Amino acid sequence: MIEPLHPALLPLGLRDLLPPDAAAEARAVAAMMAVLESHGYQRVKPPLVEFEESLFSGAGAAMAKETFRLMDPVSQRMIGLRADMTPQVARIAATRLRKAPRPLRLSYAGQVLRVKGSQLRPERQVGQVGAELIGADGVAADVEAIALAAEALLALGVVGLSVDLTLPPLVPAICAAHALTAAEAEAVRAALDHKDAARLAEVAGPAAPLLGRLLAAAGAAPRALAALAALDMPEAAAAERARLAAVVRLLAARAPELSITIDPVENRGFEYHSGISFSFFAKGARAELGRGGRYIAGNGHSEPATGFTLYTDTVLAVIPDPEQARRIFVPPDASAAEGQRLRSEGWVTVAGLETVADIAAEAKRLDCSHALIGGSIIALAAGAEG
Amino acid sequence: MPSNEKLVLALPKGRILGEVVPLLRRAGIVAEPGFAEEEARQLRFATSHAGLDLIRVRSFDVATFVAFGAAHLGVAGNDILMEFDYPEIYAPLDLGIGRCRLAVAAPAEDATREDPARWSHVRVATKYPDITRRHFAARGVQAECIKLNGAMELAPALGLCRYIVDLVQTGSTLRANGLVEIEPVAEVSARLIVNRAALKTRPEEVSSWIERFREVANAA
Repeated sequence: MIEPLHPALLPLGLRDLLPPDAAAEARAVAAMMAVLESHGYQRVKPPLVEFEESLFSGAGAAMAKETFRLMDPVSQRMIGLRADMTPQVARIAATRLRKAPRPLRLSYAGQVLRVKGSQLRPERQVGQVGAELIGADGVAADVEAIALAAEALLALGVVGLSVDLTLPPLVPAICAAHALTAAEAEAVRAALDHKDAARLAEVAGPAAPLLGRLLAAAGAAPRALAALAALDMPEAAAAERARLAAVVRLLAARAPELSITIDPVENRGFEYHSGISFSFFAKGARAELGRGGRYIAGNGHSEPATGFTLYTDTVLAVIPDPEQARRIFVPPDASAAEGQRLRSEGWVTVAGLETVADIAAEAKRLDCSHALIGGSIIALAAGAEG
Repeated sequence: MPSNEKLVLALPKGRILGEVVPLLRRAGIVAEPGFAEEEARQLRFATSHAGLDLIRVRSFDVATFVAFGAAHLGVAGNDILMEFDYPEIYAPLDLGIGRCRLAVAAPAEDATREDPARWSHVRVATKYPDITRRHFAARGVQAECIKLNGAMELAPALGLCRYIVDLVQTGSTLRANGLVEIEPVAEVSARLIVNRAALKTRPEEVSSWIERFREVANAA
């Protein structure tokens, strides 16, 4: 016999958002989107599901393992439920908006579903807010993406915001310059992912001294840039380094309240990134609040792009609780106009549907901070149970 | 970045702790009295540094505390790091203490009779089911792992399994139970580990502790 399910039980990694959290989430998403839209990032809304071929093309390939798939009974093709919205937006830019003038600035917000949560994000359904800047290759575009993400997070009151910059092409360039085999390069990658200096020295062969110093260079931006500048790098890597220095300089001028760190060997989650990439952290956050970076967009003809995704759920966990709205109980004998006036003054009105003897007690029962009694606004004593 | 929150260093009870304490002393960390008492009820200890506290937990739990950011730094053997493979843990420094190896062992009579090349399936008792599965899978053998938390050496004699995967320091426990080491799985030593987010958001504080431990470990 199958045990009957408790009606409140949800599948692993899924949850209900209740008051006031659901409203707080909607407000936070709206506030972040308002920042993106104010900088000319126009909103797009891709569908929840689409053909897996388009979902997994290009940068979307990394999400194939994370995606719920089902058979579309109409087209008899496999469709996937999006696990990340970035590939959808890149698809829109490369197809329907291919003739739109570049640089193309798009923003989006929505929910995504993943087959498995991660250690730090066991949730399988998470919210994303993001922006993509497509068809711009310069340092200015890199800086714009990072500064915009920072502005959106700061607008929510995130405290102690820091951005960690990385250069995904750096390590492959160094491995290639030292003629490491694919297997050796993979072992190097694994050691670097755990910042395991002992293991790195074992597996990196001729690249070990340089990679070791690269590993040690991570830290606050000025120190890290100085350490990087002292390294003798192959040509391709040196070009990336110069670009990183330029981005840090411009970013420090544009967003002085943002602390900048550099981790030249960070790679996890940046497997498909082709240039300067970044993760946002904040005081008290267990995981990154968002990440992004440079990638190659487009199918057929490719174009340079950069962008970012902010993780709504992680962001909500670190921002201050919103001020509780002032809720006022309005008894049924009050006029409609009176309710209207209160709402226009910023009150949240809770209408009584039936006449009650003790208005104050009824107001408290319905979680109101105030009540309209005899035409005047009465504050209710907090704490005492009505 | 300035922060009022204390850093927490998680240390493992048992095998490694005895070797960690001198290392702490050389790094200038003096724990409050009671830390060295195995039976103390207290679990969290202040140190001579106002910004650093110690906690004492089971060795496997050190990795868990650090992975979730409940502790910022920790000391854990790479056996534990390999078993969990937590992406949120960095292991920047080999402390060179707690050295031993992880190995496959079997009853002496089986070890001489068996040809491992013919295996398709083995049953193994271990504290490390993930490492064991990966180790055998890499050579095309499916390992059925029975998770035990101790006294692994009893399992073959009582018919629970033919093989065990466990830490071997001198081999005397194996010999006393009629077992021999068949093949090594990994060399083990204790690492200084740090939480990824802690390193990213408090780079100066965390890096200075890593550097301090590096000096002390290299001097040893």
